Amino acid sequence: MKNFKKLVYSSMIALAFITVFNIDSFAQNPKLTDPEIASVAVTANQIDIDYAVIAKEKSKNAEVLKFAETMTNDHKAVIAQAVALVTRLKVTPKGNAVSQKLLSDAAETGKALRAKSGKAFDKAYIDNEVAYHKAVIAAVSGLLIPQSQNAELKGLLEKVLPALNTHLAHAEMVQKDLK
Amino acid sequence: MKRAVFVLSSCICSLLISFVVYSCASAQADPKTHTVEIKDMKFVPESITVNKGDTIIWINRDIMPHDVTEETSKAWTSSVIPAGGSWKMTVTEAADYYCSIHVVMKGKIVLN
Ligand SMILES: [Cu+2]
Repeated sequence: MKNFKKLVYSSMIALAFITVFNIDSFAQNPKLTDPEIASVAVTANQIDIDYAVIAKEKSKNAEVLKFAETMTNDHKAVIAQAVALVTRLKVTPKGNAVSQKLLSDAAETGKALRAKSGKAFDKAYIDNEVAYHKAVIAAVSGLLIPQSQNAELKGLLEKVLPALNTHLAHAEMVQKDLK
Repeated sequence: MKRAVFVLSSCICSLLISFVVYSCASAQADPKTHTVEIKDMKFVPESITVNKGDTIIWINRDIMPHDVTEETSKAWTSSVIPAGGSWKMTVTEAADYYCSIHVVMKGKIVLN
């Protein structure tokens, strides 16, 4: 998670707050091809579906469960669109450093979530959803959209942004209610 | 003189009555259909002003499902409107509504 953020932020060198990260992060400025971008997009969506699976197993809070259900359905819808697009474009999503980093960080986060229960779980899940959506929004707008070559791929990513922003606002609302 | 006043006032009275009857009849005569698009996670327009008896049709232009649900007491709901789907309702009262799937999406029906 933290490292993924580093990757994201390193692509936004102009931003002043980059100085909080060590100089190493500047060395990682990933250049992604369209098949790699497609892989990152599908992976990022799948990860949030996987977090929702954990929430459905562990939470008893109606608001949290409803949020998890929305994440499941919406991110599935995005993946379906992405798969339809790459199939039509005859592009095969290609794993890469960013998608691998996403997966290994998600595995760690998933483990940490599974170790919690009750209200502590609900809080950890929603806190992670807020942080994760912020990171994904930064990655989609700062990395994936600018680097997309294909106009339809760029268009799909642009269409996903408002949904991610809505998810973030929704997660922040639940976060507030849990306090 | 008395008779003249009576004639005049009954004229005014019938004019008034026919005006009221006419305006009521015309208000009922042509209920309109209005469209609200659900697009990029927003109700467009967010607030819509209609006459009682008009119909509103909500069209989901997004790739994900939405719904249209009365917010204060859940008095009515469209249930799930799939991507590309639509739902319509004849308006009987003003309402604040929202999408119960994406609870931060809000809209408003205002009556004329
Ligand atoms: Cu919605």
